[in-house]
Amino acid sequence: MRIKRRIATAVLVVAAAGLAIAATTASAGSNSSQHAGAAGANKAAAGGVYRVEYESSFDFTGGFDPTGEYLGSAQGILGNLLVRTLIGYKHVAGAPGNVVVPDLATDLGKITNNGKTYTFKLKDGIKFGPPLNRPITSKDILFAFQRIGTPSVVAQYGFYYDVIKGMTAFKTGKSKVIQGIKTPDLKTIIFDLTVPTGDFRYRLAMPAAGPIPQEVAGCFTQPNEYGRYLISSGPYMFAGSDKLNASSCDTIKASGGISGFDGTTKMDLVRNPSYNASTDSPAARENLPDEFTFTTNSNVDDIYAKIGRGDIEDEVPGGTPPPTVLRQYAGSNQLKSNSGDRTWYFMLNLTQPPFDDIHIRKAINWVVNRDALRKAWGGPFAGNIATHIAPDNLLADKLKGYAPYGTGKGDVAKAKAEVKLSKYDSNHDGICDAKACKNIFSISGDRAVEKTMLPTLEQNLKSIGMTLKDRVLKDAYTPIGTVRLNTPFSTRPGWGKDYADPYAFFGANFDSRAITPTGNANRGLVGLTPALVKKFGVKGTVTGIPSVDKDLDNCQTKLEGARPVCYAALDKKLMTQVVPWVPYLWANYTNVISKNVTQWQFDQFSAVTAWAHVAVK
Amino acid sequence: MSAVVGQTDVHPESLVTSVEGRSPRQIFWARFRQDRAAMVGGIAVLTLLFLAVFAGVIARHVIGHGPNQVYDSMTDDFGIPKGPNSSFWFGADGAGRDLFVRVLYGARTSLLVAFIATTISMTIGVTVGVIAGYYRGFTDTVVMRISDVVLALPVLLLAIGIAAACGQTAAGCLGGFVQPGLGLVIFVISAFTWPYIARIVRSTTLSLRAKEFVEAARSLGASHKRIIMREILPNLAAPIIIWATLLIPSNILFEAALSFLGLGVPIDTPSWGQALSDAAGSGLYKSAPWLMIFPGIFLVVTTLAFNLLGDGLRDALDPRSER
Repeated sequence: MRIKRRIATAVLVVAAAGLAIAATTASAGSNSSQHAGAAGANKAAAGGVYRVEYESSFDFTGGFDPTGEYLGSAQGILGNLLVRTLIGYKHVAGAPGNVVVPDLATDLGKITNNGKTYTFKLKDGIKFGPPLNRPITSKDILFAFQRIGTPSVVAQYGFYYDVIKGMTAFKTGKSKVIQGIKTPDLKTIIFDLTVPTGDFRYRLAMPAAGPIPQEVAGCFTQPNEYGRYLISSGPYMFAGSDKLNASSCDTIKASGGISGFDGTTKMDLVRNPSYNASTDSPAARENLPDEFTFTTNSNVDDIYAKIGRGDIEDEVPGGTPPPTVLRQYAGSNQLKSNSGDRTWYFMLNLTQPPFDDIHIRKAINWVVNRDALRKAWGGPFAGNIATHIAPDNLLADKLKGYAPYGTGKGDVAKAKAEVKLSKYDSNHDGICDAKACKNIFSISGDRAVEKTMLPTLEQNLKSIGMTLKDRVLKDAYTPIGTVRLNTPFSTRPGWGKDYADPYAFFGANFDSRAITPTGNANRGLVGLTPALVKKFGVKGTVTGIPSVDKDLDNCQTKLEGARPVCYAALDKKLMTQVVPWVPYLWANYTNVISKNVTQWQFDQFSAVTAWAHVAVK
Repeated sequence: MSAVVGQTDVHPESLVTSVEGRSPRQIFWARFRQDRAAMVGGIAVLTLLFLAVFAGVIARHVIGHGPNQVYDSMTDDFGIPKGPNSSFWFGADGAGRDLFVRVLYGARTSLLVAFIATTISMTIGVTVGVIAGYYRGFTDTVVMRISDVVLALPVLLLAIGIAAACGQTAAGCLGGFVQPGLGLVIFVISAFTWPYIARIVRSTTLSLRAKEFVEAARSLGASHKRIIMREILPNLAAPIIIWATLLIPSNILFEAALSFLGLGVPIDTPSWGQALSDAAGSGLYKSAPWLMIFPGIFLVVTTLAFNLLGDGLRDALDPRSER
């Protein structure tokens, strides 16, 4: 007993001494060397295996079934390597990467009937990969849309195709055919829409709209099933596809899936022998490596160690790499940072005090130190400071430089000037003194970045008399997307495009017709009408909520170049007349590649590496 | 018995004066101060209490800023905090706040939670244990089975569930009665530690109720209440003090664990567990080790100090314990 206590006393003394030692060692522990690597310095050549690790898990939302899969990184693999669509992308960075180009179709299609009819012709020589190795026809694209319209398959972004005439009737079982899709011959497909939809080409460029062979996919009517049996129409296929016995549904299902994809941790892609490069464009797909492997790794440190050693070539990180990694690779061309076309923002619920007052909403936009917030994300590599809603890429730079609330550090004087105009500042001194400004209920996610950001935000808000009552929840999206919970404020939300058109940013977030009781993305409740108040259980200030529904309808009729102009005007209106967000960061997709990589490109559409253009030693 | 032959110069009076009578308190103190480990623990506890009580004064008058003051200059361009220097003795945390001040305030949070939770769980545990041990029979069975049920509950899972279910609205659950925060942490710790005390108190009470002095009181017609209050409880004082000092460090670690899991104190309230959690979650400890070192050392020192103190108290208060 005495010996034990002597040991314990000794530990106590040593621990106290550690305080002093720690102070010395800690101050010396922050230096790290920078890599002077030169990825991309060698000439790109075909061949080799391009090895990629996903941080933690694939997190596929639909089991990699192109009909249901909604995960951006999965759509990147599908679109670059496995599934071709009528219309596609060049899989390059920046605004050019958001421009649609013909893929399986001979051109971008003929638009008639006042923008309501789209006609496409398929190229010659396009084929499915093994084991089918047969030509792709318009019927295969029709079947893809029939799958989208089959509720049991759960097409997670199937709502984008509700503009096709008869799609809703098909979904609800009122019709056995989709009236608005016609295939007069095996090379032609015609889409009739209910309303002019200027971004329909972009919707056709999503993997769900690619050809799907009925003889295989028809065997699977539940979500998450077909992914492991995916028949390629692109330059690569799952390894072992040629071993699949596709003679009947029984033989297909008996295989348990193609061996190159185990569904959760490993995906092995090899060249598709039926792919005809002459039907594709090198500008869109170069297809240099002979093989791709995608695996998962829950140890982030191990991923970066492997990249450092050259044991893997690339990663799909869960977010911005840790600040330590950013600092290590800063200045090296192994560190890649590109706009992810995603905006992180604070949500302001227009029905809840004090955010039912536009002056308070404007004041918060003024007072927030976006530059300091960005530090919590890792600094400039994390992205550009967001000064309005949609990232510049999506608006074809029509709003580049537009910053109605300044560009970085926040402006307390201008914030106070707005507060003075508010009904919540009784003595008009620029400090919100009403009870509504104290302990404002706020929901945050449990991400480290949010916890790091919150003290800065709270300090900013304090300067205009506002305080938060923070709740940190692992699943913050559920309560903030549940309308009846009337959450006034949240630091959690972000929005990334589904496809490269501004509607994919503005439609779900600001259209009152998109408000849903749960899973609601229009979190500010923009355009809320009295009819919706009772339906969704909204409590608070429910009258006089501004709407942009008409602006959205107007923009949706526009085509090509007119669209970004129209949406830029809408963005301005939202930022100055509605103010439902405090946008603070246009997030980058930042990753680290190994020195083995001889050519690297970023795919703006899917916001991950452009697998179609990479090369390895 | 006759006097010892040949020692006629030794007087009985002188023998009496050389053996002084000592009160129980004096005996306790004499034993306690001989125990150096316990003394070190006691001094460490007093120091921590001083720091916790005067954290605000130290922060305001010595350091010059509070625990939530953010210093943009204390993080680099990548958001990595800067290390200890003459102004920030423990360096900055990920948000650019003074870690020294936050550790000081963290002592306040830890000790506050631990003391309140320990007081509540001791009160419940002693009450329940005495009732079960004194009345025995059906009462004992019911009370002990309830404590068995409580001990069988998965504490952390329940805490996660409560935090998730009651954290979605400002009102929390049960009309605002249950809300994530300091109160919930204290409630969870109290609710799940009292059975340990109840079991110990029950067994001691079972032993005490069979003692002669209790029999004597009963034969003189003393009521149950009087026997419990006057005969049983005073004899439980020593074990209660000992277990309280041993429960405090356990509760400090419990609070740290809950905060580490994000179920503890509010995010702007400094807490050692939360500081460790933030450092681990952000991965910043790799380049800013002070984020782990200082809260960790304080946590270890506090726990160890209370354990040493508790050990010493047990040895000093319980003459039967071996040293």
